[in-house]
Amino acid sequence: MRLNLRGALGTTTCCDGCPHNGYGMNIFRKEKKEKSIIAIKEQRAAYVFLIPAFLGLSLITYLPLLAALIVGFTDLTVFMLVRGEAPSFVGLENFRFIFTNPSINFLNSIYVTIYFALFAIISSVIYSMFIAVLLNRKMPGRTFLRAVFYIPYILPSAAVMISWFFLLRYEGGLVNYILVNMGFDRVHFLSSADTVIPALVMIAVWTCGNLIVIFLAGLQNVPRVYMEAAEVDGANFWQRFWRITIPCMTPIIFFNMLMSLVVNLQVVVPALAVTSGGPGQSTMFMTYLLYHFGPRTGQYAFASAMAFVFFLISALLAAVIFLTSKSWIFYEGDDK
Amino acid sequence: MKKVSKIIALLCTAALMFGLVACADSGSGSGAEGSDREVQLTFSMWGEVAEYESTKVALAEFNESQDRIWVTALHLGSQEEYAERLLIMSTGDDMPDTGMVDERTAIGWAREGLLLMYDIYAGQPSRPKDGITFKDRGQTVAYSVASEVLALWFNKDMFDDAGIPHPPTRIEDAWTWDEFIEVARQLTFDSNGNNPGDAGFDANNIVQYGAYINQWAWQLEVWALSNGGRWYSEDGTAIVFDAAAIEGMQKVYDLHLVHQVAPFNPAQQDSGWHDSLGAGNVAMASEGQWAVGFTSGSDINYGVGVLPYMERPANITAGGPVGIFSQTDHPQEAAEFLRWYSNPENNWGPIEYGWWMPNMMNWFTEEALLQRWIDDAPHRARLPASSFRTAVADVAINTDVTHPTGWYYTPNTDAIDRILIPALVEAANGTKTVQQVIDEVRPALVAALAG
Amino acid sequence: MSGFVKSSERKLSTQKFGGLQSKRRTNTVFNIISFILIVSIAAVVLLPIWWIFRSSVMGSQGIFLWPPTFFPLGTLNVTEWLWSNYIINPASFNFWLNLRNSLTITVPCVIFGTATAISCAYAFARLRFRGKKFLFSLCVGSMLMPAAVTLVPLYMAWSALGLVPSYWPLILPYLCGGGAFNIFLLRQFIRTVPRELDEAAKIDGAGYFRTLVSIIVPSIKSAIIVVALLIFITTWNDLLQQMIYIHSRESYTMVLGLTSFFGTFRTDFAGMFAATVMTILPPLVIYIFGQRYFVEGIVMTGMKN
Repeated sequence: MRLNLRGALGTTTCCDGCPHNGYGMNIFRKEKKEKSIIAIKEQRAAYVFLIPAFLGLSLITYLPLLAALIVGFTDLTVFMLVRGEAPSFVGLENFRFIFTNPSINFLNSIYVTIYFALFAIISSVIYSMFIAVLLNRKMPGRTFLRAVFYIPYILPSAAVMISWFFLLRYEGGLVNYILVNMGFDRVHFLSSADTVIPALVMIAVWTCGNLIVIFLAGLQNVPRVYMEAAEVDGANFWQRFWRITIPCMTPIIFFNMLMSLVVNLQVVVPALAVTSGGPGQSTMFMTYLLYHFGPRTGQYAFASAMAFVFFLISALLAAVIFLTSKSWIFYEGDDK
Repeated sequence: MKKVSKIIALLCTAALMFGLVACADSGSGSGAEGSDREVQLTFSMWGEVAEYESTKVALAEFNESQDRIWVTALHLGSQEEYAERLLIMSTGDDMPDTGMVDERTAIGWAREGLLLMYDIYAGQPSRPKDGITFKDRGQTVAYSVASEVLALWFNKDMFDDAGIPHPPTRIEDAWTWDEFIEVARQLTFDSNGNNPGDAGFDANNIVQYGAYINQWAWQLEVWALSNGGRWYSEDGTAIVFDAAAIEGMQKVYDLHLVHQVAPFNPAQQDSGWHDSLGAGNVAMASEGQWAVGFTSGSDINYGVGVLPYMERPANITAGGPVGIFSQTDHPQEAAEFLRWYSNPENNWGPIEYGWWMPNMMNWFTEEALLQRWIDDAPHRARLPASSFRTAVADVAINTDVTHPTGWYYTPNTDAIDRILIPALVEAANGTKTVQQVIDEVRPALVAALAG
Repeated sequence: MSGFVKSSERKLSTQKFGGLQSKRRTNTVFNIISFILIVSIAAVVLLPIWWIFRSSVMGSQGIFLWPPTFFPLGTLNVTEWLWSNYIINPASFNFWLNLRNSLTITVPCVIFGTATAISCAYAFARLRFRGKKFLFSLCVGSMLMPAAVTLVPLYMAWSALGLVPSYWPLILPYLCGGGAFNIFLLRQFIRTVPRELDEAAKIDGAGYFRTLVSIIVPSIKSAIIVVALLIFITTWNDLLQQMIYIHSRESYTMVLGLTSFFGTFRTDFAGMFAATVMTILPPLVIYIFGQRYFVEGIVMTGMKN
């Protein structure tokens, strides 16, 4: 089964990877007469297959998103909706407000969100890679252990936060109890501005079972022939890891970084369930503010302006990952 | 081909299940009962299920008592998400007619026209006692259904074991802050039985704390008042947080930071009663009178006394308000229902159980009525009733001591809380002084108050 | 290509080199160390889950005591496992009713979400059409947006359609796509299926739908199970949306039921933990039964960007 798929992979990289016969336009130019009927048929079929998903995407994601973003340039609040007043356009006023009003301190939110997200992405990717490499070795109970690491991912995040909160409490928390018995002083963890982000990153890392599974999948595709060749050449484990595993895994690392970015930039549950944005303003994440001004207090105009900024930042970070990916992703064979 | 038909069969089954979904859903939607009444009202609420159940009992009685109005209870989860759910419902014109109102949003919603400024007691012979009326610049917004105050709860056995007299139960005998700290010190033990200040006291291994001051933001206000300060100006238009208020709050945090007689319990993570007396490792705790309800079914030997004071005896009064939402078509009927609902006689369950104190003045002055809700209510009688009368009931009507909390007259306290609560954690953990914290957030508080 | 891989592997594994003996010994040591390491990390991973369970069989008092106990027994007031915490008054947490309601939402979501995700992924993986790149990036881009942004416009739309309160706003979106991530995942898997199979089916006269159903779907069975499980978990745990579209307690779902333990004046922690255990049990059971397909499924099939 494995080898069969390996062979299949080889074929796909050849066929799909080549830009020359991959996508639309070229077909229509070349061999116009013979292929056009089939191409048109194929195209029609493709659109039919896409209808349900794009109905959903347009009606449930992009249309409301557009509506929300337009609101960012008006003065709409929930109360105006209730009173039946029409909103008016205020230009960039909302953006000025969210960046200058001291009660919002949006710049701080951007900072703590990006700080947390980058910290969490890097830690999650390193941790999950590490665990995946270990789990890829032959060992007793491997299937069970692989299953264990995914469990945190399937639990409701609020329940997870409450459980961690009890473990990390200053008064009566198990972790502090262990620290005291080892002769250390207690640590505030979630209730000190210095430790709250590392503690939340640790929880985020704990939750990232999905990344481990995807890395495990990627490790199956590292061609064994390279490994064995390296072994013949006398390369030790580390050399093989750095020279073969990592380069072959770069597409997967890229994918996992994107997944991790999506999840961690939107971080909000810790603030909602435990920290309320504190201590100080150290966990006043963008989505938490967005949540406070949007659904919670109904100041939709401010919330939408924040969403707009949030969207730009997400797109920017994603673009950075995408653009730099070209330079560090190693594609096997002709895949570039 | 076989597989295709298999898939089609699967899809048909799925469609069938989907039909079932629709049925199940519409089945649970409409309540047929009472739909023949002239006026249909919905009353929304938050809280745990026991509160919901007791409300349903009250509503059933109301629906029995007349034949024109039918009220249905709508339970919207916990207080945390209550206001949010109502706001989202309002965008679809789906708001209930009437219901509980989050204290922090009451005035703001009234100003914005989401809550009717409707004095349900206008022209009525009796009205709730002063101090539990939400007023925006003199205009009545809503009334609390209960009038709560704070008290000093304690574990009698811990006092007796240490040979220390119980806390005073009359406001004129109240402990000064220093007396309070000294008693708390004698009641705090590490695992070796040492008190704070003793040689070899291990602050990392405290097994019993002497004191616990609830640090929910609104409860902290009492210590600002007690130290002679204020949070908000009297008309609710300005942020004050004067030196006395800041000092008072610092004294509360110092119980943990300096005197080591109280656990670390920042507002953001406060689980209230559980952290304190309920867990059996704290000797005294400040908590609302509603805690009397939690003393039932516990093997801890509870008592109640008056709060200690700093510069002057102080307390705050609070209680969940009920109001009429502006999307209703029947404000008059809603007011009629709320009057009925707010009358202690009709909504006896929460009062007897201990969550609420009556909202009308005469329940605090007429002996027969006092007898009914204090001496005849088993949880209060256990304390005993005489201590509850002086430490709680008398304090509640002593207007020299007891002041309304900020949210009765200040708008946007929800926005203020969003900033203040996380900021104060840094004072609670000792990285900053209260002075530093307030200096930092004062511009934000001012902006938040302005909205 | 596969032939090459095969033969070269065989050649390598049959060759013997000097020094392999000592290498094997260090390998054994390394294996033992990594096994111990992975087991201890796994224990830490399971710790919070144990903590939820342990707290669910202690009284509310025991949860807050110092020193905390690792096992529910042995503290001052706790002399037995309080299974009674699990006997929750149905008025506060009606397990069977909540379970039915949760399943009413999740089952159609899983079925239709998976089906539409497969069809969309098939188009992206196999078919050629105008605007493919653009549509695909629209699809992936939708993942970058927090749910709080569209919450209010969507509510207004559903409410205008008269579908609030009901389960429809929770189910209907899954009739249309089942999430960008799942489409992306399935697309990756479909790309691993040899194209020759498609071509063979085409020669036999199969249309695109027949090819999808009879060639692609059977080849990516494990991926489909993965996606179904992911949709199940997402819809099961989606507190935010359920909170907004479900109003009456009779229609409460499992996760929504948990909110009833947070009272005005206090939280019933013992009850809450017991209810949390009951809430995470169904997805956990499904995961444990499905994990053979799930983790191993992804791992065996592999993923390729």
